[in-house]
Amino acid sequence: MHTTRRDLFKFIGGSAVGALFTPAPWRLITDTALWSENWPGIPRPARGEIKTKFTNCALCPAGCGVRARCVGEQPVSLAGVASHPLSRGALCPFGLAGHHLPYHPERVKAGDAQGAAAAVREAVAKCAGNERIAVLDLRPGRTASWTYRRALAGVKNGLYVAAPQPLGGWAVDLAKARTVISFGVPVLDGWGTPGNVLQARANFRLVQVEPVQSRTAILADEWLQVEPDVAAATAIVKERAANGPVLVLADWPELLALNQPGETIAPRQEAPVPDSWKTAAPVTELSDVPNASIRALLIDESVPGAYIPWSEIETKLVRDNPMVVAFGPSRAGYGRHARFTIPTPVYPELTDDIPPAVDCPGTAFRVSAPLLPPPGGVVSPADFIAGLGGLDAANALRERADAIHKSGRGAVFTYADAKSTPVKELQPDDFWKALNEGACWIGNSATMPARSGRGPALPREPRPLGSGHQDSGFTVVFTGSQPGLLVSPILSKLYQESNLRLARNGAVLHPDSARSCGVEDGSRAFLETPLGQCAVEVALDPSVPPGFVQVAAGPEVLDICGASLRARVVRA
Amino acid sequence: MIAENRKNKTARYAMAIDVDRCTGCGACMVACAVENNIPPAHEGATERKGITWIRVFKVNSGPHAAFVPVLCQQCGEDPPCVHVCPQQAVEVDPATGIVGQMPERCLGCRYCMAACPYHARYFNWWDPEWPAGMEKALNPDVAPRMRGVVEKCNFCHGRWHAARQRAAAEGKKEIQPGDYVPACVEACPAGTIQFGDLNDPASAVAAASKAAGSFRLLEKLGTEPKIYYHSRRDWVRGIADAPQPPMGKENARG
Repeated sequence: MHTTRRDLFKFIGGSAVGALFTPAPWRLITDTALWSENWPGIPRPARGEIKTKFTNCALCPAGCGVRARCVGEQPVSLAGVASHPLSRGALCPFGLAGHHLPYHPERVKAGDAQGAAAAVREAVAKCAGNERIAVLDLRPGRTASWTYRRALAGVKNGLYVAAPQPLGGWAVDLAKARTVISFGVPVLDGWGTPGNVLQARANFRLVQVEPVQSRTAILADEWLQVEPDVAAATAIVKERAANGPVLVLADWPELLALNQPGETIAPRQEAPVPDSWKTAAPVTELSDVPNASIRALLIDESVPGAYIPWSEIETKLVRDNPMVVAFGPSRAGYGRHARFTIPTPVYPELTDDIPPAVDCPGTAFRVSAPLLPPPGGVVSPADFIAGLGGLDAANALRERADAIHKSGRGAVFTYADAKSTPVKELQPDDFWKALNEGACWIGNSATMPARSGRGPALPREPRPLGSGHQDSGFTVVFTGSQPGLLVSPILSKLYQESNLRLARNGAVLHPDSARSCGVEDGSRAFLETPLGQCAVEVALDPSVPPGFVQVAAGPEVLDICGASLRARVVRA
Repeated sequence: MIAENRKNKTARYAMAIDVDRCTGCGACMVACAVENNIPPAHEGATERKGITWIRVFKVNSGPHAAFVPVLCQQCGEDPPCVHVCPQQAVEVDPATGIVGQMPERCLGCRYCMAACPYHARYFNWWDPEWPAGMEKALNPDVAPRMRGVVEKCNFCHGRWHAARQRAAAEGKKEIQPGDYVPACVEACPAGTIQFGDLNDPASAVAAASKAAGSFRLLEKLGTEPKIYYHSRRDWVRGIADAPQPPMGKENARG
């Protein structure tokens, strides 16, 4: 048989066509795809023994119970603790991704702690009689707060300054309210203990009074889209008081004072502390500190808490070369203004306790036990400040737990078995062990004071309501504040890959407002006040009324706004 | 519910979402991303190029608004995405009714994305990247996907496998209700989402699917989705027919 070149080509062509009808090419594609799935650039999840650990979330004062699914010792997902008496099984989106915080790209992992200690000691030595060495605690009421107070009692001219507490230090009892009238408070958007608020929601009528359509306004029974002055706000409250106990939530003292102590509010109670701690330095509010009197200021922002605009702090510092040390996981907060930023452990590496939230009328004590060891180079602010005062506070949490146990009050709810055990039935070691393995101590419920009792303590400088539009610019409305300086990078699902929440540098305007200041959807602009300016990215939303700008309450924006609620939007 | 009450032996997993309860907090979106090893946004990702297997939309109607979680609607017997896939990378699991995506078969042609009327499929425009160290926190039950493939909600299929393994270890033949719950359902603090088997007439989801005020998205297309929504408000139910957005722009915010 004579084979020609044509036969050869026919054979090759026929083989190629025939191969298409065999499984070979499809197998080749599948194998290639499988191989590409194992591309070396794609991380492989670690495998190991699956364990369950329990702790309490330290990202906000709610302190929700947390069930962590761990591979070996590494937490890979977090969930709420079902049947938790305070958090009711809920966890907010920030808490659900809290185990990512140790790996945040903006986290600070090294700082000059020795240099800071030397500088503070030098400042103490130089401190004149009318000057102070102060600690600013953004989340007071913790055991660490007591450590600061005890340490400062032993420091020359030591001063303990606590950030203002919501509702002037009073707690609310949502279960007793029939009507909740909220003046711009994000009741259904992370306020209080979210799980508790959502469970109590069925029993009260919610009236939301605010000019911008917030999440809470959307879900309220009644949304009053107004910016009332004090008289109008008081009228709104009195009109609805006939339907049963009313709870008024607001940032303004005149409105807070409309609450009747004994009905829906009660003084916040603190868990017992050892008697020996009671000689600690007193609690001072920043507004009570004389201007230009703080020589050295140590700011604890290691756990998320209230943010005080820098301009309010700066006026309290001495004019010549004040020394500011910020303790935090990032330089995004007060670290921008401090001489030293000392890195601290972040949740879930830190060991801290969580005082009761604003919607917890009783006493409670929870420990955020670490799920991961902190890296080398981070410093606990409590250890640092205790060292300045020559105090050994390494066992402060244990001492506090022993004091609670000694009181014999209340019961401890353990997460692993969902059981509540009276404290009296436990040995001190068992109580301490339970707290560290995921538990919540709940003391006796608050005893409501008499109806004629004193109302919430009022801030010294009330912020005017309905101040009108005296100057040019927009009324600033804050929304969607994130807990603390760091949030998990996965939260980009909410503010970059969707528009569900406002990014830290986002500003939302009505299309007419945007037109008036020459900005467009997605354009860069500056938010400008007499205190400064910060860059924002503009989004348009017709649900924001003309004349308002909605911004996320990040440190940069809060710093430039200060006490003012007016800002201009300037095209970049 | 016990197996005797079921119409047949296979399951037809479904969700019932009460729109009136959704607070728009986004816990479901975060829990989903954590569970399914979806990476944080690439620098260039936007709401069009990002990956959110479940996404909560804010829907406005005059002064009113509502939050509507939208995920793969788990269409019935013949989903459009299955129909168009040249690679058989999408198929309906006859045992569960779940429309599954097999990324290792996917060529990245994105026909399925074009065919999906719910825009519930997402393309990996970039290699998955996590900040240094964060890959230690990945879920070991789910493999990360590579650049160039499509992915979507699969009702946390890894959890279904884990539940089956647990049931087998305990000597049970079937998963009991409550043993298998997707991450978004578990995470929702408002109890907005119910999950269960439609073939189990005693399940809460079966009851919710027949309740007054229940609706499905784009029902007129005949895709037979297994995600049931519920609202007492007429205008919310009206969004199921996808009227033209008033601004002429899709997804203005939310």
